[in-house]
Amino acid sequence: MRKIFMLAFILILALVSCSYSQENITIGACIYRFNDAFMLRFRNAMQAESEKSGAKISITDGQDDQNTQDAQIDEFIANGVNVLIINPVDRMTSQGIIDKAKSANIPVVFINREPTPEMLNSYERAYYVGAKAEESGTQAGQLIADYFKAHPEADKNHDGKIQFVMLKGQNGHQDMILRSKYSVEAIKAAGFEPVEIASAIANWDKLQAMNIMNAFIMSIGPENIEAVIANNDEMALGAVEALKNNDYNKGDPALYIPVVGVDANASALDAMDKGEMLGTVLNDADNQGASAVKLAAALASGKDINSIGYTITDNKYIWIPYQKVTRGDK
Amino acid sequence: MAEITTSKSKRLFTTAGIIFLVLGIALYFLKAPMGLNRKIYDLPIFLIIIGVCFALKGFMSANKPNNELERVSFGEFLTNNAILLAMLVLVVVICILQPRFMQIRVALDILTQSSTKLIMALGICFTLLIAGTDLSAGRMVGLAAVVSASMLQTATYANRFFPDLPQVQLWMPIVIAIIACMVFGALNGFLVAKYDMHPFIATLAVQVIIYGACSLYFDMPPNNSQPIGGIRPDFAQLGQMRLFSMGRDFPGISILIPIAAVICVIIWFILNKTVFGKNVYAIGGNREAAVVAGISVFKNIMAIFILASCLYGIAGVLEAARTAGATNNYGNGYELDAIAACVVGGVSLNGGIGKVSGIIMGVLIFTIIQYGLQFINVSPMWQQVIKGVIIAVAVAIDLTKYRRK
Repeated sequence: MRKIFMLAFILILALVSCSYSQENITIGACIYRFNDAFMLRFRNAMQAESEKSGAKISITDGQDDQNTQDAQIDEFIANGVNVLIINPVDRMTSQGIIDKAKSANIPVVFINREPTPEMLNSYERAYYVGAKAEESGTQAGQLIADYFKAHPEADKNHDGKIQFVMLKGQNGHQDMILRSKYSVEAIKAAGFEPVEIASAIANWDKLQAMNIMNAFIMSIGPENIEAVIANNDEMALGAVEALKNNDYNKGDPALYIPVVGVDANASALDAMDKGEMLGTVLNDADNQGASAVKLAAALASGKDINSIGYTITDNKYIWIPYQKVTRGDK
Repeated sequence: MAEITTSKSKRLFTTAGIIFLVLGIALYFLKAPMGLNRKIYDLPIFLIIIGVCFALKGFMSANKPNNELERVSFGEFLTNNAILLAMLVLVVVICILQPRFMQIRVALDILTQSSTKLIMALGICFTLLIAGTDLSAGRMVGLAAVVSASMLQTATYANRFFPDLPQVQLWMPIVIAIIACMVFGALNGFLVAKYDMHPFIATLAVQVIIYGACSLYFDMPPNNSQPIGGIRPDFAQLGQMRLFSMGRDFPGISILIPIAAVICVIIWFILNKTVFGKNVYAIGGNREAAVVAGISVFKNIMAIFILASCLYGIAGVLEAARTAGATNNYGNGYELDAIAACVVGGVSLNGGIGKVSGIIMGVLIFTIIQYGLQFINVSPMWQQVIKGVIIAVAVAIDLTKYRRK
């Protein structure tokens, strides 16, 4: 009888301690570099979500150095965290991090910088939360297509095609390639025929974009340009400054060329409020941060990860869509 | 071999001028009836301007005393002006490919874009005149742009650099930005003058320091390396205002053009009419002789680098105003463009030789070629190749001239 009591007591204790540990999940998170504007928003979102859910999170700054980050991960594992959230400094060295987590038997969620599928598949408790880069291009193209649907008069020469100017980022950069390609694809998919009348590499830079756009306005004539697509907001803003210098986009609806960018930075939102820029595309740090913490907490407590409110693809990935931002919905 | 004497060249200029003038006036009146408005744009006005310039040059030199001994062979004339001639050929080709190039507003746009480059080139020419160089110039532009823009944002902007900064007087941040550049200019001068360091190394070190310092400033919370925007309209006007604008007929003259012109006059005065200017040429021409003549090399080198950095600072502030924004990457690589423009304009890298008029020409040639290539949408890779060839040819010509002497 006493033995059964003891057994029951131990069982209850075990259960209690088990549920107790569910309440007290510790998450160890590593960010590649703290002073990166996007990762700052990401970090704030993770902090907010863990406060809401009651999980304990400690976040370290990798200072853009993989060795520093590796040491931080070792320390987290030694301190017995329940789950890791890793924003690797070098995504190609993620295999080492996965092996460490595997041998310590704790789940690991990668964010923002994606390990290769082979790496993720080598450990059943490794996951990735992020955005698909090509989507930013697709949505920028959709912004232009939507504008042309709502404003048929934007087709200034009434030929049913969209004559656009493309301002590209640094040559060979993955975002530059994907955004340039998919923005045009999206315009096609929406049923318009895009015609690139000019394009140039402006290296993500406002100044270069402004000078180049100035030359385009002179050589092509502003009346022949129907849209400007830029790979990021800074270049879009450079184009806006050049247009403004030629009396375009200053409020007269007859003198307006829609300009789109990507990033949703503060200056772009400001220009959109003034009606100088059509729209931009936001990489949704808030939802990425929140879903990473929710996924990590579910993994650590053994809950069903499909119940956290985000779709999990291939039992490995949470893809957070980019968001279109236009005038009026800051 | 044909030889061009001064009297021949006078006649050449006068006749060419009159031909251009007559052609321009004729085209001006025939343009509309012949339906050429959209084919030649403002070409007649350009022809008239060129004609007047040529005729004036011929007329002016006719009044100068004759110097028949100065003979230049036709081949020498070609090599001496190779870059200028190449530019003229390019301009004609561009005009044929894209007639829109022949617009007054294009010419004004080229002048506007030349303005900040000219201010930089005038700064860097001082360091070239003493057979030095200044690699920190571009980063100083970035520093001045970031510092001035960070303190001149509108009160309502969402992402202010200094959230609690009141709306200060316009001149204060500008002066602070230029002084920040001058401090680093003094460091350049100190390293070169005190330790006799080669300016290439001294300014390279300072370039790296400036970029690091500027990035640290730019990265301060709450900004965290976000591009600076929400620039105050009164500051933006400093770079964007247009004078004498007449709606659609005349785009107006950018305020940058008179600013650059005033700075040109000041620098011309300093180089030609002051003791300091004479000292610069003296140190550049023969340093030992300058020392023997009692010129304080230390003081003059300090002054050269501080004055140069002041000009880069002005250029940086104007770039920030013109683009209504700034990042720490502004001005990256500008020093090389400015050095190249000086060299094309006849400033010798061996020091002691260089004129303000030449630098103006160099900057204009460079900007016209760059702008023109962009205008007909030449791939940026080809633009780089062409730019490089221009620099190499210009230096080669400079060196052959130098050897001849």
